[in-house]
Formats: sequence, structure tokens, C-alpha cells
Amino acid sequence: MPRTLVAPARSIAEQLASKQREISVAEFFERNRQILGFDNPQRSLLTTVKEAVDNGLDASEEAGILPDLRVEISKEGESGDRLRVAVEDRGPGIVRREIPNVFGRLLYGSRFHSNRQARGQQGIGISAAVLYAGLTTARPARITSKIAEEEGARVLELILDTQKNLPRILSEEVQLWDREHGTRIELVLKAKYVRGRQSPLEYLRGTAIVNPHARIVLVEPDGTKITFERATSELPPISKETLPHPYGLELGELGYLLKASKRENIREMLSRDLAGVSVRASREVVGAAGLKGSEAPASLSGEAQEKLLAGLRGVELVAPSAEGLSPIGPLLIKRGLRNVLGDVRPDFFAPPVSRPPKVRGGFPFLVEVGLVYGGGLPADQPLQLLRFANRVPLLFQQGACAITSAVGSIDWRRYGLDQKGGNGLPTGPCLLLVHVASTKIPFTSEAKEALAEDEDLDRELTLAIQAAARHLKTHLSRVGRRQFASDKFAIIQKILPRLAEKASRLIDQPVPDLAPVITKIMDVVTLEPTVVADASSVRVTVEITNYTARPRVLEVFLEIDPTTFALAEYAPTPEGIDRGLGRAWWTLDKLASNARTRIELGFPARTDVEANDLDFYVAGVDEAHLLGADPLPGDWDVRLPRAIIEAAEAAESGPIEEEEVDYDAAEASAHVSEDES
Amino acid sequence: MPRKRAPTSPKTKAEEEEPKVRADALRPTIDLARLIHSQLLEGEIPRMRLPLRTKQNIAFQMREGVWRLGKATGTRSARKLDGALMLLRTFYLVDFINEMARDGKTSTLRELYYISEGWEEGKFHSEDESNLLVEDLEVMCSRLREDFRLHPEENGASIIGDITIRERNRKGAVKTINCREDVGDGGYALPSNVEKEKIEFVKARAKFVIAIECGGMVDRLAENGFDEANDALLVHLKGQPARSTRRFLKRVNEELKLPVVVFTDGDPWSFRIFASVAYGAIKTAHISQYLATPGAEFLGVTASDIENYDLPSDRLSEVDIKALQAELSDPRFATAEWRSEIELMLKNGKKAEQQSLAKYGLNYVTDHYLPEKLKEMGVL
Ligand SMILES: Nc1ncnc2c1ncn2[C@@H]1O[C@H](COP(=O)(O)OP(=O)(O)OP(=O)(O)O)[C@@H](O)[C@H]1O
Ligand SMILES: [Mg+2]
Repeated sequence: MPRTLVAPARSIAEQLASKQREISVAEFFERNRQILGFDNPQRSLLTTVKEAVDNGLDASEEAGILPDLRVEISKEGESGDRLRVAVEDRGPGIVRREIPNVFGRLLYGSRFHSNRQARGQQGIGISAAVLYAGLTTARPARITSKIAEEEGARVLELILDTQKNLPRILSEEVQLWDREHGTRIELVLKAKYVRGRQSPLEYLRGTAIVNPHARIVLVEPDGTKITFERATSELPPISKETLPHPYGLELGELGYLLKASKRENIREMLSRDLAGVSVRASREVVGAAGLKGSEAPASLSGEAQEKLLAGLRGVELVAPSAEGLSPIGPLLIKRGLRNVLGDVRPDFFAPPVSRPPKVRGGFPFLVEVGLVYGGGLPADQPLQLLRFANRVPLLFQQGACAITSAVGSIDWRRYGLDQKGGNGLPTGPCLLLVHVASTKIPFTSEAKEALAEDEDLDRELTLAIQAAARHLKTHLSRVGRRQFASDKFAIIQKILPRLAEKASRLIDQPVPDLAPVITKIMDVVTLEPTVVADASSVRVTVEITNYTARPRVLEVFLEIDPTTFALAEYAPTPEGIDRGLGRAWWTLDKLASNARTRIELGFPARTDVEANDLDFYVAGVDEAHLLGADPLPGDWDVRLPRAIIEAAEAAESGPIEEEEVDYDAAEASAHVSEDES
Repeated sequence: MPRKRAPTSPKTKAEEEEPKVRADALRPTIDLARLIHSQLLEGEIPRMRLPLRTKQNIAFQMREGVWRLGKATGTRSARKLDGALMLLRTFYLVDFINEMARDGKTSTLRELYYISEGWEEGKFHSEDESNLLVEDLEVMCSRLREDFRLHPEENGASIIGDITIRERNRKGAVKTINCREDVGDGGYALPSNVEKEKIEFVKARAKFVIAIECGGMVDRLAENGFDEANDALLVHLKGQPARSTRRFLKRVNEELKLPVVVFTDGDPWSFRIFASVAYGAIKTAHISQYLATPGAEFLGVTASDIENYDLPSDRLSEVDIKALQAELSDPRFATAEWRSEIELMLKNGKKAEQQSLAKYGLNYVTDHYLPEKLKEMGVL
């Protein structure tokens, strides 16, 4: 069961608490509509869905239940400006005595001071939605909730009393519900349903990507049902609750902690209520602050609190731990993206990047990045940026967010995307997912829409995004090489023979031998793996062809993931094998110009191996004359046979082609603006 | 017609026996095959060198007074996919042309595009691509596409005015047509081939030719009797004029010694229409000497007309501005008059249609605007 407590006041909370006697909740709401996310009918709908969905996810995860959510949005009445929203989860349910406060009272929540990563933080979310519904349609919220311990579900209709900030129950009954436990909230509100950016659908899609363990169903007003199935049935590990760490602790927060502490004296309070402060360190801190240490925590004057804080800053402490964080992890980022973007059929899912946790302002945080490229993604549009904070999609204020500026400050042209002037969002068929997880997300405002600029955060964001961008670059250059190869093969296999044949026939001459021309056109050594799987085995044939004008002596290295490597058999027998690295190598017999040889690999049936999983490195020919493999990395400590070294040393001579203007390339650029017949 | 002779090699016996026509018009196409074959024999990557048809590579030809291709060349090589494909297509095209010559057929450019469906990898992806290759072949062989028995669909101009023409129609019958008396409101439609063997000028009672961009303006002038009152020939350009239209303008200008004035909208695209009439188009710079009328003059609508006549105008779009800027670096517009005209338009940021003259009533263009402008130009 969620532990609930009345949230202590801070920021808006603080404002509200201090003004509660002077202004009504309704007035407060009116003034802060925008911050709370209810400034127009379209946004109000999104906020309502978001608050209910976040709560459902939080509650399910806390209870160790795989989230299973259903969001139904339908038209209400004839006026056309009202919608009915129902969100239901199969979470733990809420005990009867808490239901009225959870839904009918602002600033009532269980997470305000829990130092762990959760979506809900303030205890405002869902009751603000109830309030908005009440203010715009005067209709009560209908809550259905069942806990496992009870036979029936509690069904309450309630409104939020705007004078008292207290719930008022209009009706109550017990009903049978066809499930063990769960919660459903139904609201009627002034709202507008749209699709596209900043819509409930977009929000749920984003949520599904970063919560691949959740199943989410959306029923739109016209009856369309959209289901995001789960991509994993493993719950993310429950993040541990951690104590606040003194790094970045502010005076007000320290004051609150002192006041709320149940410890006998400040020494104990320091070492037990804060993270990273050992018993010895607590003594040093007290000493440095000129205090005795035996003072009761609540008794410290403002001045003494300041000294204490200074003392905390002067002492070396154990760094904050990342236990309170719940990263999505590379595997699940990839699965989530694959799952939700399936219909776009991207060409490339970059290996996701998950940075190690860092600390800013006393709170641990970490950055994760996923990148998808090509397929059905629009090529002439700016990169699609999906921002997430603690697994919650951020749909507004993209321009004001630290994530966006980190993306924009990278020169994407170096990684193969178009970008005007080398900054700002690049253009291309690319989608970038950025997730920041922290026990305290540095939002720019209570509206929780954008992350505030911060040096430490920016550094991590930049490193993570650049790492993903490097994967993109590798991919694009591979694609480029592959295109280059397929162009060349098209020339020598189809076009050249036909050209020779047609030209020769026009002048009644025999077709000349094309071999010398072919080596001139190709001028590369190619490696082409083909994978054939049947019921009994998976066979890989690697064809190596010397399309250069001179004979070659080659050393070929193959690397596969070591577990797959362990299953392989080879013909011919490799020169050497390194099982730990998953590497095998061969010294090939001298390969004449236009000659070809092959290496064969065999795996047991159903081994999961694709041509892409095989990495080839070749010594004996330089990079410019190599296709389908990379040159030997410089940092490999391998001893090459003498013949290869000699061959490699014999410089790649041969006449250098004079640079000529490519007629067709020049033509293509010249005719864009002329339109004459 | 002045025609450069292609470099020729000693004739083979087989060629000696070929019909004269084919040997003459199509021998250069066979020479191309000989070139590629010899490269293959030498173990060289097949390639051809062509003059670049780009803005940077046109040069003013003093003697003819037109812009022609310069000396810069590019190479079409089988080393790259695009080049290899174009080489292959060239020989599909050469085959096709020689076949047509054998069978006594002709083909439209559009038909050629569809014929390429059967050329496997050589198939064209767009009609632009096939038209470009035909032009390339014209350049490489120093021949006109008519020599290759290829012609565009009939999309030439229409003519209204007192000129009598003798046309040999496709059935071989000869018709004598007066372009005012013997035609309807649409005027006389030019065929795609306007060479002497097809069209002869019998007689003309005209003092000048006015080439007009839009059909609506041609109708206005005809309805107001402008051609009769001023002894003018009206030629409807239909936007960017077809080759045959430009060739026709050149012929009346040279053979009948009639001055040509060009009357278009006042925008960057219309400037290009004028340039292609007067100086030759970049795409067809290899045959400018047949198509360009160096003496043609731009009547309007000029940027200053928009101001002086206070014409209803539109703001220049971003594309318009780009086009004007491109014209500033186009050698054909590198005269003081054109520069100041283009700069004025850029400065005012306005463009206007020729029909905007209707602001002052239907007769204004024929009663005031044209007489004023033509007097200024010394034509009337
Ligand atoms: N569907 C639910 N199942 C179980 N408990 C819930 C559910 N919805 C809300 N709660 C409980 O009610 C509390 C109040 O929810 P509320 O949305 O108002 O605040 P919050 O989620 O803590 O913070 P925030 O204002 O950031 O949303 C939650 O902290 C949680 O304990
Ligand atoms: Mg909440």
C-alpha cells in the first residue's frame, strides 16, 4: 500500500500553504493554470491522461505488478467541447480511507520527500485534474478501486471543495469488479481531442517506448483502439529509496530535515538522515561548524544551520550512490523503440548508450540515449527528438530544454546528418531518444516540461549523444561502402558486358576481353559473406575476390561475439584462434588478379548469426582498396607473416587518375533551374 | 545550315555501301561505338568527353552574336554507376536511331522515353533524362535531333498576322496558308520542324514581330486589332518557348529582316524566356547558332514599368529572389541594362503580370502601353 503523508510545503506547495487562508484553491488554480498544465482544452486533456497514467504506472511498479493500463476517451453530451476520460490500471488499488484525499485534495501524496526516482513528485497531479473537471463541467470524479484484501471494489463519486481544499463525497457504494485489484478514475471535463505532437497518443507512444514492460491501450473518441503491447515481461528493478546527500543541499531543505528529524542530536542526525556522512565525518562537520554535536536537531537557530551547511561543504564525503535510479538500460531501450516504431521499419537501431551515474547538486542522475535511422522516417524533416525524464515523455517546451540545446550544440554534419550552420536540430530520417533519470530532475518550472541548463548535466548529455552519433556515422559509412560495392558490381556484372556487346555489334567486331577493364573499374579486394540457414545447420560462405590489377597476399581476421564464436567450425582451418576475443585468422594463398577464394564457417542449426554480426579485418591491402572489411586496427597486437608485411610495404603504386569533372554530376546540378524544351 | 563535321575515320567497306543519308547523318553515332570498342581493346575504362552545358561554360560568340558552349569538358565514365548507365543508354539510343533510319520511321521524344522500357538497366527514369541524353548525342555527333528522326510533340507557338507560309504536311501535300486570313482565332500552329524543307515564307506584310508570353495577351492584341493596325506578327511563346518557336523567330528575323520584340510578365522567369529567345538557352547552347535571335529586344514588363505605370504587383517570393540572384551571375545577363533592371526588381521586391495592364481598361495596352514602349525602342 502506498504510504501517504501530507506533503511538506515547497515552491508552489509553499506558496499555496502560506496563502491557503487568503485565497481559495480555485483561485490558486486559476492563477497557476499554465504551470499545472490546464491552460487550454487540448492541453488539459493531455495533462489529465498523463497524471492518471503516471500514477497507474508508479503504483503498479511499486507493488511489483506489470503495468496494464487502459485509457478511454469518449464524447460527452452534445455540446462537443466535453470529453469523458477513464483511466484504469491493474495496480494494487487504494485503501478506502485514502481515496478521498488522493483524488480530492491538492498536495496529498506519498512521494514528496521520498528520495527515489518516481514519476509523481508533488502530490498535486491527479487532484488537479479532478479540480479542473469540477470547475469546467461541475461533474464529480468517479473512482473505482479494489485492493486484494477486499471482496468488492469501492466506488466513490467525489468533488474537490475549492473553499476548503478537501474532498466531498457525493455517493459511495461497493461493486463487484472482475479483477483482483486496480483503480479506475473517470472524469468529465472541458477538453479537445487531437492527434499529432503534444497529444495523448504521442504521450502514450513515448511512454510505451521507455516503459517496455507496460501494456497500454488507448481508445480514441471515434472508437479507434490502439494497443502498445509489452516488449518485455520483466519489471524494472525497484529503485531503492536513498537519503538526501549533502552535495547541493540547500539551506531550506536542511532546515526542513532538521525539523523533521527524530534523532536525539545533530551528530546522529547527520550520519543517519543524510547519505554519505560517516560517523567520523559527522564529528568533523560539527567541529568545523563550531557546534557541540549534542544539540537537538530541531533546536538549531538559522545561523547555526548556515554554519552546519558550511561545515558539510568543507568535509570530504562518500559520493552519492545511484541506487535510487532506475535506468531503462540499453537492451530495453532498443526493444522499446523496436516495438513502437515497428511500422516505420527503420534501417538502423544504434546500440543504445547508457552513461554511468553522475551527481549534480546532491542528487545522482544518469543519461541514456537511443538513436534510430532511416526506413519510413521522413528524410526532409528535422530530427525527431523524444525527451524523457524519469521515464515520462516531455512534450512541451522543447526549445527551452537542456536536452534540446545539447543536441543542437553538436555538429551533426560530422556524423552524417544535414545541419544548417553546424548547430541547431539537424535534418534527416533520424529519431533520437534521450532519457534523464534522477532522484531529482532539474526542471525549469513546476510544469515539469523542460530540463534546466546545467554544466554537469550538459556534459553527460553531450557525451551520450555523441556516442550514439558515432554509431550513426559508422552505420552511414557502412551503407555508403555497401552502396559503392553494389554500384560497382552492377557496372561490371551487367552494364559493362552489355555496353561492350552493343558497341561491338554496331561496328561488327568481336567483344574484347573485359578482365583488365573490370579490375580497373573495381580496383578493390572484396569480402562478401552469405548466410544460408537450413534445418541442419547455418552456413556462412565468405567469398574473397581480388579485383585489383596485382596479385595479393592477404591475412584475414574474423571477429564474432565469443559465445557465437564458440559454436563455429571452419574450413580451411584457421592459422590461429582466440576464443576469448572471438577471433580467428587465416593467411591466404597468393591471390592472382581477378582470382577468388573462400572461407567457410558452419554453425549448429538455428544459431542466431547474420552477415552483420561478422566483422572482418584484412592486412595486405590498404583501406582504399578494400570492400566488405576494415583494415587491421592499429592497436591490435598481432604478428603478421613476413609476406604480408612486404606486400603492404610495397606502396600501392600505379598511375594516379587525373581528376576529371564528372559530366553527369555537373549536369545534374546545372539543370535544376532551367526548364526549356 | 552551317554544320560542324564530326571527326571521321577511314570508311569501312560496309559503310561505303550504306545509303548516303544514313552514312551522313548517322555515321557519328557509329563512330561513338568505334571509340568505346577501341578503349575496351586497350583495357581502358570506357568513357566519353563532352562539353559541359552549365552556366559557367557558355561563351559569347562574336561572329554569330549568340552564347555558345565554352571549352570546359566533363567526362562520362563507366567507373561510376551513373556514367556507366548513360554510356549504355547512349548505345541503346544509337541502336534505336539506326533502326528507325532503316525502317523509315520517326519518333517523338515521349515515345523514345517509353521505348526505353525495353532497355533493362538502360531504362530512363524520367522524360527529362531521355531528353538530356538526346541533347548529349546532338553535342557528341554535331547533329540535330531531327537528323536522328526524333522530334518533340507539336507544342510550338501559334502565329497571327499577315504572313503567308507554304507548309509541306506529313502526308507530303503542300498547303499555302495566310496566318490571318486562313486561320481561326487560334492562329497558325507551328509544327515541330520549321526548317526550309518543311516551311517556306511566301510573303509577309509586317513591320515587326511581337513575341508574347501569355495566351490571354495574344487574344487581347488580336481582339483589339493591334496586328492589323500596326502591321505586326503576333507570336504566342507559351511560356518557355519550344525550339521550333525560337527557330521560327530566328528565321523571320534573318530572312524577312523583321525586328523581334519580346513582351512578357515582369518577373525573373520571364527574363529567362527573353534570354533564351535572344541569347540562347544553356541547355541548347550547342545549337544556339540555329535558335537564338541576337537582335531580339525586351519590351517589358520591366521593373521600371511596374513603377512608372503603377501596375498591380505581387511580392517577390523566396524562389523569385533566388532566381534573380542567379541571373546576376549568369553571363547572358551581364550587361549594364540587365544588371540595373534585375537590381531594381530586387530592390523594389515586386513582380507583375503583363495582364495587370488591364487595370486601366482593356484598350490601354494597345492604345497606350505598347505604342509608347515601341516608340521608345524605335520600332514604331
Ligand atoms: N492509480 C493509483 N493507484 C494507487 N495509488 C495511487 C494511484 N493514484 C494515486 N495514488 C496515490 O496517491 C498519491 C497522490 O497522487 P498524485 O498524483 O496527486 O500525486 P503524486 O503522484 O505523488 O505527485 P505528482 O503531483 O507529481 O503527480 C500518490 O502519491 C499515490 O500514493
Ligand atoms: Mg501523480
